Amino acid sequence: MSWRHAAIAEVRPETAHAKTLVLDVDGWPGHRAGQHVDIRLTAEDGYQAQRSYSIASAPESPRLELTVERIEDGEVSTYLVDEARAGDEFELRGPIGGYFVWHAGLDGPLVLVAGGSGLVPLVAMLRHRRAARDMTDARLLLSARTADDVLYRDELAALGAGDVAVRLTLTRAAAPPPEFPEAWTRRIDRAMLEELGPAPGTGARIYVCGPTPFVEEAARLLVELGHDARSVRTERFGPTGG
Amino acid sequence: MHTDGNAIAGVLEEVFARDVTATDRVCQSCRARRAIGAHRLFRGAGMVLRCPACGDIAAAIVAVEQGYAVSIRGTWLFK
Amino acid sequence: MAFTRGFRGRRSDVDPARLPPGQYETKDFPVLSAGPTPHTPLDEWTFTIDGAVGASRRWSWEDFTALPAETLTVDIHCVTKWSKFDTTWTGVPVSALVEGTSPSGEHVVAWSDGGYTTNLPLADVLDGKAWIAHRYGGEPLDPEHGGPARLLVPHLYFWKSAKWVRGLTITEHDEPGFWEGYGYHNHGDPWKEQRYWSD
Repeated sequence: MSWRHAAIAEVRPETAHAKTLVLDVDGWPGHRAGQHVDIRLTAEDGYQAQRSYSIASAPESPRLELTVERIEDGEVSTYLVDEARAGDEFELRGPIGGYFVWHAGLDGPLVLVAGGSGLVPLVAMLRHRRAARDMTDARLLLSARTADDVLYRDELAALGAGDVAVRLTLTRAAAPPPEFPEAWTRRIDRAMLEELGPAPGTGARIYVCGPTPFVEEAARLLVELGHDARSVRTERFGPTGG
Repeated sequence: MHTDGNAIAGVLEEVFARDVTATDRVCQSCRARRAIGAHRLFRGAGMVLRCPACGDIAAAIVAVEQGYAVSIRGTWLFK
Repeated sequence: MAFTRGFRGRRSDVDPARLPPGQYETKDFPVLSAGPTPHTPLDEWTFTIDGAVGASRRWSWEDFTALPAETLTVDIHCVTKWSKFDTTWTGVPVSALVEGTSPSGEHVVAWSDGGYTTNLPLADVLDGKAWIAHRYGGEPLDPEHGGPARLLVPHLYFWKSAKWVRGLTITEHDEPGFWEGYGYHNHGDPWKEQRYWSD
C-alpha cells in the first residue's frame, strides 16, 4: 500500500473550525464507507508529519473528500484548515480499515452514534446509503458542542426530514436550534440511546465514532441497554502524541 | 489516553499487506476474542496495542529505519 | 512531489549545537505512554532501591519528598524525533538514593506502576546524571507526564526516563526493559543516534 500523490481541487468551509478538502488522488482505487486515509506532509527541510482522516465522501462520489476539524495548536489540522488551498499537494495512502465499514445490502438497522468530528465516517455511510438508494432503517445520534459546531448541518436536517432518524444533542447550548427542535442539551446518556433505538435483538449494526471518552461511554451505555457488544463497532479519535 | 487499532490500520497494512483491523485476536492472558480494530492503541516511544478486556499487550510496533520491528502476542485469527 | 507548500510543522528556529542528529525542536510537551496512566494513591506510594545490593532502602512519599532535592534545567530528547529545550525539573539525585546500599551489580532496571521497565548501566544514573523527579516547571509532576515521580536521565533518549517509577533494581546482568526488548537500542545515546537495535 504505497503513498499516492494528492492535490487539493477545492476547499469547502463546513463550520468556523472545519473544512472539507476535495481531492484528486493519483490512481485512487475506490473505498468503502467508514474507511480512512493517512496523509503525509513534508516541509521544505524534509520534516514530515503524518495524520489519519476519515473519508467523508461516499464511494460513489467522483472525488475523494476529507473533512478536517481544526484542533487548537494542532500541527497538521491548523495547516489544513488555516493555510491549505486549491493546488496544494501532499501524499496520501489508503483506503484503510476493514473493521469500521458499512455497505448497502448488509442486513439489520444501521445505528450511528457520533461525537463531534466522529460524524465524518458516519456521514460517508449515510451518503453511500443515499447514493445506493438503500432503504435500510438508519438512525443517527450526533453529539456536538453547539449548533455552530454541527458538521453538515443542512444535509443532516434534510436527511432527518427524509428517511433517516437524526437526533442531536448539544453539550454547550442552552436550547435546541430551530432545525432540530427535539435536540437534547446535555451529554450523551442512556435515555437518548434508548429513544434513538432500535431495541436490542433486532440485529442492529452499530457504529460509534468520536473522542475516546465519548466512544467508551456510548459503547458502555449501548451494551448496558442490551445490545450485543460484538454488534457495536467503535473508532476512537485522539491526540497523535506529537 | 488511548485510541484503538483503527488508528494504526495503515501501519498494520504495511506490515501484513492486508487489512487486519477486522481480524480477531484471542488474548494470551484472558482468552477474550476481539477484533484488532477494537484493541486499545497507546502511543509511547512506539505503538502498543492492548487487549480491550484485560489490558495485556497484543502487539508492540517500533518504526525503525528500514521498516518496522513488530512483536505480536496472542493468537490472531486470519481468514 | 518535493514538499507541501506552506507546511512547517510545530517547530522553531534552533541552535543546531543543542540538537542531536535527526531531531526537531518542539515547544510542546507531547504525552506519550505505553499504557494507561496509573493512579497510585500517595499514601500507598513507595520508592525502593533493591536487588544486587548489600542493603535495600525504601521511602514513603512523605519521606521521599522530605529528601534534599535539586532543581535543574535540561534539554530532553525523545526517540520519536522531538527535542524540548530548557525543561525545569526538581528531583532527588539517584546517587543520594543509591548511597549506603552497597550495590554489587553494575546494571539497573527501573520499574514503574503499570509494568513499564527500562534498563541502564548503573554508571548512567550516578554522578549527577539522573534524578527521581517529582516536580516539573515548578509544579507537582502531572500524572500524564509521569507523576507523582519519574526517573529523569536527560543524557539518554527519554524512553529511559521511566514515568511512574517506583524503584530501581540493581542487577548483575543487563536485563533489557520494555522498549529495549521490542526494538529500541539497549543504551540510547541521542548524540550517537542510538535509536534501534540495528544502530
